[in-house]
Amino acid sequence: MKDTFIAEKDVDQKTVKIAARDVQVWYGDNHAIKDVNVDIEDKTVTAFIGPSGCGKSTFLRCINRMNDTIDICRVTGDIRIDGEDIYDRKVDPVQLRAKVGMVFQKPNPFPKSIYDNVAYGPRIHGLSRNKAELDEIVERALKRAAIWNEVKDRLTAPGTGLSGGQQQRLCIARAVATEPEVLLMDEPCSALDPIATAQVEELIDELRQNYSVVIVTHSMQQAARVSQKTAFFHLGHLVEFGETDKIFTAPEDERTESYITGRIG
Amino acid sequence: MSDASLTSGAAPTRAKKSLMAVDVRTRKRNAAEKRFRAYGIAAIVTGMFFLIVLAVSIVRSGLPAFSHTVVSVEFNLTEEQFADAESQLFKTKAYEALLIEEIRSALVARGLDVEFDSDAIARLLGKPGGTLREHYRANEQDLGQPVRFELAAASRVDGYLTGRVTRDTLQDSRFLQGSDLDLIDALVDADIITRAFNWNFIMGADTGVDNPGGAGIGASVIGSFFMMLVVLVLSLPIGVAASIYLEEFAPQNRFTDLIEVNISNLAAVPSIVFGILGLAVFIQFMQLPQSAPLVGGLVLTLMTLPTIIISTRASLKSVPPSIRDAALGVGASKMQAVFHHVLPLAMPGILTGTIIGLAQALGETAPLLLIGMVGFVARGYPDGVMSGFVDPNSAMPAQIYTWAARADASFYEKAWGGIIILLLFLLTMNIIAIILRRKFERRW
Repeated sequence: MKDTFIAEKDVDQKTVKIAARDVQVWYGDNHAIKDVNVDIEDKTVTAFIGPSGCGKSTFLRCINRMNDTIDICRVTGDIRIDGEDIYDRKVDPVQLRAKVGMVFQKPNPFPKSIYDNVAYGPRIHGLSRNKAELDEIVERALKRAAIWNEVKDRLTAPGTGLSGGQQQRLCIARAVATEPEVLLMDEPCSALDPIATAQVEELIDELRQNYSVVIVTHSMQQAARVSQKTAFFHLGHLVEFGETDKIFTAPEDERTESYITGRIG
Repeated sequence: MSDASLTSGAAPTRAKKSLMAVDVRTRKRNAAEKRFRAYGIAAIVTGMFFLIVLAVSIVRSGLPAFSHTVVSVEFNLTEEQFADAESQLFKTKAYEALLIEEIRSALVARGLDVEFDSDAIARLLGKPGGTLREHYRANEQDLGQPVRFELAAASRVDGYLTGRVTRDTLQDSRFLQGSDLDLIDALVDADIITRAFNWNFIMGADTGVDNPGGAGIGASVIGSFFMMLVVLVLSLPIGVAASIYLEEFAPQNRFTDLIEVNISNLAAVPSIVFGILGLAVFIQFMQLPQSAPLVGGLVLTLMTLPTIIISTRASLKSVPPSIRDAALGVGASKMQAVFHHVLPLAMPGILTGTIIGLAQALGETAPLLLIGMVGFVARGYPDGVMSGFVDPNSAMPAQIYTWAARADASFYEKAWGGIIILLLFLLTMNIIAIILRRKFERRW
């Protein structure tokens, strides 16, 4: 395994998709995210790394306002997608989440057929006018998630009957079916075996062409393999953010270096 | 740290033990486990024993209610007799007198070698006058030609044939006398008194205290049915809506905590309290009719709601949060997430809770006591759907309670028979619950 391999990826100057300024998150009295400022670019894979409990998942969930569902959670600061403040009073989180898709740590397909899993998002957002269009959307999403060949003959089979890796790719298909602009992934491979992980990673790299992908991961090798930008979180602070190869080869901050060399975390 | 530092020094050396010899500690542990298993089996055996005793005693005491003793006679009523009987003050008495005369002459003609008189025949029959009058008023074309009737015998005759009344225990009274037993034996030999399946018990309505032979549970089954309809239609939507709101939407604060505690407490409130509440609110304040299945249903709804809310909340809670996340993640609104994904998954639990609540309500007597459904004699069926809700009626458990309180020993048998019917209903409901749960669980 080329664990330390760092992809030679051309990183051009791209437009900023998500801009976060002075973001603070409290869970009750617990200050979980402190002063995070970050610019996430379009058509780029950005990896969030850091030890457990450092706030990387919390910050990820701020980007599509999934934290709204937690009563005691309070978010201040400014997160803008394409210049629009997503915490503005006028923003409906439902519309935001259609634009910012999310894939979770544990594969969580609906206990319905594979087809219905993918078609659910387009249906509730009214993306298709008829059955044929919906079929097309489902097929395109499944193809994009690189699972079409495996499931095309059994679209009516329950999604929960697939293997773990297939389930996760089905969840990715479900997320991309609603045509989001940003795709958030919260440790998408932590429940998968190495082969399924490799498939999902390959997929992430392909998805980069259409989306801005933000991925939280515990595996530094994975961050190095799939991302162009990496952000290192520690104890609620964004310690360092930059080009992935720079973070892994020449980190500026002492804590980053300690983490990637395995001394903290 | 090295291994050497552990083994050095005065550490006690552990004696080597054979795997073949069981040491004291293990023996104690195994004994404890064996004891525990024995307790468990003993508990189950005890439970089974009582269940079997209960089932056997219910079936033994209740089965006689499903058959009854009938006196089978051929009767010919002329038009003049009909007109004459209808003109009298006590019309059914007039029919009875005619019938008894007819039987008497028929028996004399057959030449039975026992002593009997008209009064003896009257004691053997239940209350046949009403049945005859109803028949002839409805079928006037039968006048003037012989018609075969199977009339319910008096309850003492029934008791004599089922063994409840014996020659030793019989006390001469206006109901039955020792000499009548010879007549009964003779009539049984002559196939005039026989036993038949008592459809009237299942289909019929209640009778007065003096005619246990004609009493049936049918009308109160209808009463129970309308009550359950009210309970289902009100408590299921209200209960499910309340639990969905509390579980999925309501903010967690002192106020919702208070509501939660109150709902749990309501589930433990004795049902008679709901009865008195129903009396005060529905009958005295809202002026709804007494003894009506509608009011009974409303009271039982109050009683069932906490059960449904608690079980619904439990089954909503058991739906994994990842499903909610998944739905919200693709941009479903909170309501869409709940109704498209959470609710279908919680359905089996909700249905089970609802049917358990309904079953509880079906067997409830105490609250019905206070709104006048107990002691009410449901003499007939309601005329229609509307009157099914608002006309006074009884309910199955109330009917059983009423029968059990009556003096005539045959009503005791009816009460047990009613219990069998009630249990059959509960069994049916539980089977429906199991089938529905299976059906919905497959969607996982």
